[in-house]
This record gives sequence, C-alpha cells and structure tokens, in this order.
Amino acid sequence: MSADAGGVNAPLFRRLLESQSAERRAVVLDLGPARMETVALFGQFRCRLEFADLDDGLDQLNGEADPLLLPQMAESLLPRRRQEAADIVLCWDLLNYLQRPALMTLMARVAARSRPGTLVHALIVYSAPRMPARPDRYAALPDGRLVIQRTTGAECAAPRYTPEDLRHCLPDYTVESAMLLKNGMQEFLLRSMRKTES
Amino acid sequence: MATGISSLWKYQAYQPRKETAMFDRNKKGSATVTPASSHQPATSPATEARPAATSGPVAPSANQRRETAVIGASIQIDGHLRGQEDLIIEGEVNGTVNLASHTLTIGNQAKIKANVFAHTVFVDGTMEGDLYGAEQVLIRKTARMKGNITSPRVSLEDGASFKGSIEMDPDAVKAAISGVSSTRSTSSASSASGASPVTAVQSTTAQQSKAG
Repeated sequence: MSADAGGVNAPLFRRLLESQSAERRAVVLDLGPARMETVALFGQFRCRLEFADLDDGLDQLNGEADPLLLPQMAESLLPRRRQEAADIVLCWDLLNYLQRPALMTLMARVAARSRPGTLVHALIVYSAPRMPARPDRYAALPDGRLVIQRTTGAECAAPRYTPEDLRHCLPDYTVESAMLLKNGMQEFLLRSMRKTES
Repeated sequence: MATGISSLWKYQAYQPRKETAMFDRNKKGSATVTPASSHQPATSPATEARPAATSGPVAPSANQRRETAVIGASIQIDGHLRGQEDLIIEGEVNGTVNLASHTLTIGNQAKIKANVFAHTVFVDGTMEGDLYGAEQVLIRKTARMKGNITSPRVSLEDGASFKGSIEMDPDAVKAAISGVSSTRSTSSASSASGASPVTAVQSTTAQQSKAG
C-alpha cells in the first residue's frame, strides 16, 4: 500500500458524514489517536468526540492470553463510560492489527457502548499480503477523502479479514456497506444491532 | 504552613520585581498564604524575566502591561489554586485550578493532576483531569493530556497526545461552563475581596529542598 498525498476517496466515510445532522447531537467514538482534522471536521456538528487512542494498547490486547481478563483490559483502554451511547465509531485501520480474540472482545465492548443502529466505519486490508507494522494516521477531509500518513517503514503480514471473518468476529454488527478503495483497502460501514448495556 | 510559605516565596525568583502579584503583602483582604516580613529572592538559572510591578497598592491602569504569574518547575502544589490574573504553571499541581477570567498556560515541564477552569487554556505539558475553557482551549504538540475538555473552541496541534473526550455541542458547553462557573464563584466569594491575585487554598505544600 502506498500513501496517497492527495487523499483516498472514501465514499462510505463521506456517507457517514452526510448522515449526520447539524441539529441532532451525536457522540463519536474514535478508536484512533486524536487528530486536529477530526476535531475540525466534527466540530461542525453538535457532538462530543471521544478519543480512545488504542494504538499503544494494541500490543497489550493481543498479548493478553487470559480470556477472562481480556474484556476488562479492553474496557480499560476505552474512554470512561458515560450515560450517552456512541452514535458513530471510527476504527480507521486498527482492526487489522488485532488478533481475533482481541478483535472480538474489543468490538463487543464497543458494541456495549453503542445504541442499536450505531454506525461503525473501518478500513480493512484486502489485497496486499503485507501492511505497515503499525497503524497509519488518517486525516479526514470535509469531502470525505482520507489523507493517510505512514507511521513506520516496517511491515508485517496482513490478516486480510474477509467479510465472513468480520461477521464471525463482530456478531453484534451487520455489514451495511462495503467498498473497495483505490489503495487496496476495503472500506466497511457496519451497523450495531446490540442494545446498549445499562 | 510556614514551610509552605517560605518555599512559595522563593519562586519569586521567576519574577524579578519588588512586589509580586501572587503574594503581595500590601494587598488588602484575606489570603490563606501570608508572605514573610522580609525575604531574599533566590536566584535560579530558570528565572524568566517578568515585568516589574509598581510599588504600593496602585490600581493597574488600562494601559499597564499585563503581568503573568509563574509557578516554577520546582514547585509542587496540592490543593485548590485560584486567581485573578494570567498564570503559567511549570511545576506540579494536584487538585483544582480556577482562573475564571484569565489565561492559564500549562507549560512544557508542568505535571498537572487537577480539574482546571479558565477563560483560555494552553496545554504544552502533561495533564490529567477535566478542563473547562470558557473561551478556548489549545492542546499544543508537546502536550500529553488525559481527561475531558469542555470549551466552545478547541484546537489540537499535530503531535499532541490526547486521550479523553472533547465536548463540542454548544448547548452542552454553555451549560457545563455556566455550571462550573457558578459553583466556583460561590466557593470563592468569601475570600474574593482584596485577595491576592493568585492564592493556594487549604493544603499547600512545597518541597523546600527543591525550591530556588
């Protein structure tokens, strides 16, 4: 995968933005690092932005062998729970860096913070057998394009999760839409089906 | 308290002026921390130049250059810090910080574990806590922040590390800022009149060995 300085057109991300009303309050949970572009973009809406910045926690999650401790660890890496459920969840390319147990557990915790119908946006490595060893940084532009910034020159094997893999690992979600992007990634828009935990 | 007082006086080295705005013995009204009768300002290689204050209890004119108080890197404060002037913190503060109508700068070396309320907040250092900026909050590229920000205007520089939430709904921001503002003015009303511009209330400690 090569970084596109002009940005990659991400139609489903644009669709997600267009679905937001300037009048209705929304809670956006960003699993990636805080970015000024994200703040600027969602600043036009009535929203609360929550940044989990899971980049540093990925190794912790993948390294936790005890399935009983994994949910607790995932919960501790997410922002403090509030009464409001998340309306949008931005995963960027983070899901590619989670092994299946960690992926299932983390997204179950995310689903517990969502309401029925919460939209989840994710970028999954599709065609390339290898990917950057650490998650890229994404600068979201108002027209829906994503400017990708590489954070490392090192590479690792890509899991290349298929839609079937995602259905298995993310049982709380349905795949609303999927689209192949120019940079070889598959863009997913998933919808939460689970009720919010009290 | 005497231990805390003499240590606090030492950080006037950062403000080479005859009378400090922070602990000015000539200012009337109650102040939790009362300055010693005489002091020798300690020198410090980290001294920042500060404008000299006028002597005597003269009300500042509109044209008078704004003075900014500084809490130096060697100072540690535990408790409630409030004031009526701009403040730069380079040290450690645990508790709360309230500069309702002024600007707070959390400097590069600062380590803050506190809830903060100010008009404008610039974060360059490390902070853990809730931050309320009535006007705006700027998280600079050297900042390492964990907590919640409530402000009508929030900027984040590339390179800044932030984990937490940013409330950007104007209605929610207005309600939160009003709520925090009225709570803090009620609690500070009793000591507001003629108080030193910046006071550390209740348990205030500083390490003498590190001061100066």
